[in-house]
Amino acid sequence: MLIIALVVAPVPASAILYIDINAPGGKRMPVALPPFVTDSGNPSLSTAFPNAIADDLAMTALFKIIPSDAYLERIVPGHFGDKRLSFPDWKIIGAEAVVIGKVEGRGDRITVEMRLYDSTLGRLMAGRRYTGSPNRVRTMAHKFANEILLAFTGVRGIFDTEIAFSAKPEKGRGKEIYIVGLDGKELRKVTSNLSYNMFPRWSPDGNSIAYTSYRTGVPVIYLRNMDDGSERAIVRFGESKSPGSFSPGGDALYASVSIKGDSDIYRVRLDNASYERVVEGWGIEISPSVSPDGKRMAFVSNRSGNPQVYIKETGSRGDRRISNAGVYSTSPSWSPAGDRIAFTSRTGGKFSIYTVRPDGGDQRLLVSGDGDCADPSYSPDGRYVVYTFQKRGYSELKIISADGRWGKSLVIGLTGAGSPAWSPRR
Amino acid sequence: MRFGNALKWSVLVLAAAMLFSMGCAKKETVKSTDSSAQDAAAGKSPSQPGIVSESVKPGDAAGSTADSRLAAAEAAAGKAVTEETASIFEDIRFDFDKSAVREDAKPILAKVAAYMKKNSGAKLQIEGHCDERGTAEYNMALGDRRADSARKYLVSLGIPAGALSVISFGEVKPLDPGHNEEAWAKNRRAHFILR
Repeated sequence: MLIIALVVAPVPASAILYIDINAPGGKRMPVALPPFVTDSGNPSLSTAFPNAIADDLAMTALFKIIPSDAYLERIVPGHFGDKRLSFPDWKIIGAEAVVIGKVEGRGDRITVEMRLYDSTLGRLMAGRRYTGSPNRVRTMAHKFANEILLAFTGVRGIFDTEIAFSAKPEKGRGKEIYIVGLDGKELRKVTSNLSYNMFPRWSPDGNSIAYTSYRTGVPVIYLRNMDDGSERAIVRFGESKSPGSFSPGGDALYASVSIKGDSDIYRVRLDNASYERVVEGWGIEISPSVSPDGKRMAFVSNRSGNPQVYIKETGSRGDRRISNAGVYSTSPSWSPAGDRIAFTSRTGGKFSIYTVRPDGGDQRLLVSGDGDCADPSYSPDGRYVVYTFQKRGYSELKIISADGRWGKSLVIGLTGAGSPAWSPRR
Repeated sequence: MRFGNALKWSVLVLAAAMLFSMGCAKKETVKSTDSSAQDAAAGKSPSQPGIVSESVKPGDAAGSTADSRLAAAEAAAGKAVTEETASIFEDIRFDFDKSAVREDAKPILAKVAAYMKKNSGAKLQIEGHCDERGTAEYNMALGDRRADSARKYLVSLGIPAGALSVISFGEVKPLDPGHNEEAWAKNRRAHFILR
């Protein structure tokens, strides 16, 4: 079930900067999303596409969707042929841009063409045609939402990315790995072995997940191919173990492994499972998160008597402590943008999420709540953080923008949710 | 001239896209490509088609072949570890974020050691556990540290290291499902299982 995208792509990458993505709080770009043109087979798709795109754009806080009762022009099949949109009719209701679409169904495959127009200049900003199974409507919508963001800001969206996490299933005592779309839809189970499955981490190409499973009775780190579900054991040595982060090239996994009660960080080659210790100490050294350039690593150590976040630089002796929030700081996530590290810290009896520069400067509280906020993981563009919210056994997955201005619950009603990991770009 | 080049390029890219489509997708896809080709040939706007194609893999990896291939015995063992195993020994308890053997644990460890000396072929697995607070990964390592503290103490009492093994469950296997200090105190523990 491939989705084939064909396009009608626009002018050479936009000479016009419509929105400065790094200047939040400015005027929102008003966009019209009229119902898509559909044939008789798929009436519900006329709103399914624009609604999914509207949900995606809402995450950015950069757009304002003009309510559909204001629209003066009806989109017809001719708009995808010779007929020109009546741009003044869109300008007059305040729409600076219009997204139109046409869906054609052919059995188990649909083709959708989507176009984004600048209604002031009457110019096509982006156009794409996707073909795929009807149950992939949201994915097609996310892909075009990515193009819309690119056309307006010069930075492609991440709306088709996903989050892997662990949680307790409804039945059984174990923990399974799940994946959910960024819109909170298409929640699905990856493992179902009734044992403990934890700490999912995506490979840089997004094709594999490393995770720890007790499915043979003892903890082993497996690498799972997400295309065909095949798996192989990559870390068997030692006692407890957890994958932390892949090397940027994807040829090695940094993992924490305990041997005789001493947890250290190892670099494990994926081709032959050979390993070398890269961070050691007398106590617990755990949770490696590698910088985008692969030259530095954030990790947790309790060498000061309680867990704190440190940075190790390749080729330099000594590690620099960067967390200064509370007496218990763990689970660092290095932003793929490179500029910040998010971590969990216990302050005032509860856990909250902080971010800090890699040099330890400018530490800020990102989010705290009426319960524990923990386990941050940055989006591939560094603009959002996914984390867990826990209160007396109840848990949710939540997302917050990296500037803390916008947030939402991604999955509610979970038990024991943990270790969310944001996939790379698709 | 530049437009001519652009058109030539789009035809080339189009041809590649068509080859791609015919090679691995269905006929409809080729048709959609054709309609773009007409747009391009008509040259409606210089900003019209350049054609790119990409494929997306399905996200529904729900069925798990690796899991189904698991040997039945391993699968049973994997499920069994989620169940609390009764022990003839009391658990020993730990302070928050600590792994040192407390004074109140020493009499219990002495009883364990006495049993192990009396039953020289016995094998003991020591489980390390944490309360639900804190980070799961960190707690996994802390559980190992707690189990290892108990192991070292038993070795110091003369139990051969080869008779002892450790496993950590971190915070995933609480004895008391409550969310208060009383439950947490019970859940910061080492548990002893004869194998």
